[in-house]
Amino acid sequence: MRSVTLAAAALVALLGARHAVAHHSFATQYDANAPVTLSGVVTKVEWTNPHARFYVDVKEPDGSVTNWNLELASPNVLRCNGWQRDSLKVGDEVLVEGSAARSGAKMANARVVRLADGTRVFARGPEDN
Amino acid sequence: MTVRPLAIAVAACCALHTAVAVAQSEPPAATSAAGSGGLSNPAIVPEVPDAPPPRLPDGTVDLTGIWSGGGPIGNIADGLLPGEEIVLLPDSEALMKSRLSRDDPEANCLPTGVPRIAPYPWRIVQHPPHGPATHLFFLFEGNIHSYRQIFVDGRGHPDDLDPTWYGHSIGHWEDDTLVVETIGFNDLFWFDFAGHPHTEQLRVIERYTRTSFGTLENEITIIDPGAYAKPFTVKYTATLRPGWELMEYICNENNQDVPHLIGPPGL
Repeated sequence: MRSVTLAAAALVALLGARHAVAHHSFATQYDANAPVTLSGVVTKVEWTNPHARFYVDVKEPDGSVTNWNLELASPNVLRCNGWQRDSLKVGDEVLVEGSAARSGAKMANARVVRLADGTRVFARGPEDN
Repeated sequence: MTVRPLAIAVAACCALHTAVAVAQSEPPAATSAAGSGGLSNPAIVPEVPDAPPPRLPDGTVDLTGIWSGGGPIGNIADGLLPGEEIVLLPDSEALMKSRLSRDDPEANCLPTGVPRIAPYPWRIVQHPPHGPATHLFFLFEGNIHSYRQIFVDGRGHPDDLDPTWYGHSIGHWEDDTLVVETIGFNDLFWFDFAGHPHTEQLRVIERYTRTSFGTLENEITIIDPGAYAKPFTVKYTATLRPGWELMEYICNENNQDVPHLIGPPGL
C-alpha cells in the first residue's frame, strides 16, 4: 500500500499546484467557476508543448456537431503522472469535465477525462476518483 | 542513508521513468469498470535521500541535479521575508496596472528572466564536475528551453554589457552559500504572472544554500532604483527531483493560449 499512499499524497500536491503548472496564468484563460461537461469522440490528439491538447466532436442539442479544443498539462507533466502519448486515441468516446475558456471559444482546460468503460485518463487530482 | 518520500513529486515533470521504479513497485490499479472510477495510471514518485548536502572532493557543496521551483511563479510578493515589502515607484506602478495577461512574455514563449522560475524542472551543471567549479550552468526545460551561465572563476562584470533576458552572472562562495550577482538585464521580462516590472537598472543577488540533500534555498534580493523605492528580499525553495530528466520543450510548437488570456494579469 505504500506506493499507493505516496501516489495519493503526490496527487494532493499536484492538485494544489495544478493552476501553476502552465506557462501562462490559469485564471485569466479559464473560469474555474464555469465548469463544462462534454461528451463526444476524440478527433485529434496533439502531444506538444507548451500543452498537450485533444479535440472532441460534441453533439449539440440541435444535432449539429461542435469540435472542442481541450488543454492538458505539458507532455512531461503528463508523463510524470504515468500517461503516454497514446493514452488517449482518436476515436475514443470520452466524457470530459473541465473549466471553460473565458474568451468564449469552444475551448476548455480538461480536469477529468473518462473513457466509455469508466477508465480515467489524464486525471489530475484526488477529487477525480 | 534513509530514504523519505517526496510527496510533491508529480507537481512538475519527469521524462525518465526507469530510474524511479521504487514507488512503482506495485502494479497500477486495474482498469475500472464503468462508473467505479479507479485511477489507471501509476504516478511517478521519486524518493529523496534524507541526508546532508553532498560535497565535492575540495569540500564545496555540490549543487548539481534536477530541481524544481526556487523562484517566483505567480506573485513575487508571496516569497517576501518577514519585514520586507515591495514599494513600486509611481511609473512602475502605472506600468504594472497597465499590463494585460496576454502580454506576459512567458505566455508568449519568451524567457522568464531572473529570478522568475517556470513550473518545470531545471538542472544545475557544475564545471569542472569534481570542483572547484569555475562555471555553473542552469539548464531550463521551459519556459523557454534555455540556460543561464554563472561565472565562478573570479571575473567581474564587463563594462559594456548588452541588456539581455538573463543578464551577466558572477558567483562566489560564502561558506556553504553560493552568492550570484547578476546585472545587464533588459526590461522585457516580468517577475511573475502578476506582472511585477523592472528596469535595466535591475541588480539581483541570489544566495543559494543546499540545506539538505533534497533542498536548495534561494534568498533573492531585488535592487532596482528605477522601479522600486527600496530593495526587497524574497526566499524560495527548490526541491531535488531524483530520477527525473529534462524533456524537450519547444514552447512555440503549439502555443494557442495567448489570444485567450483575458484582462489584467492574474494567477
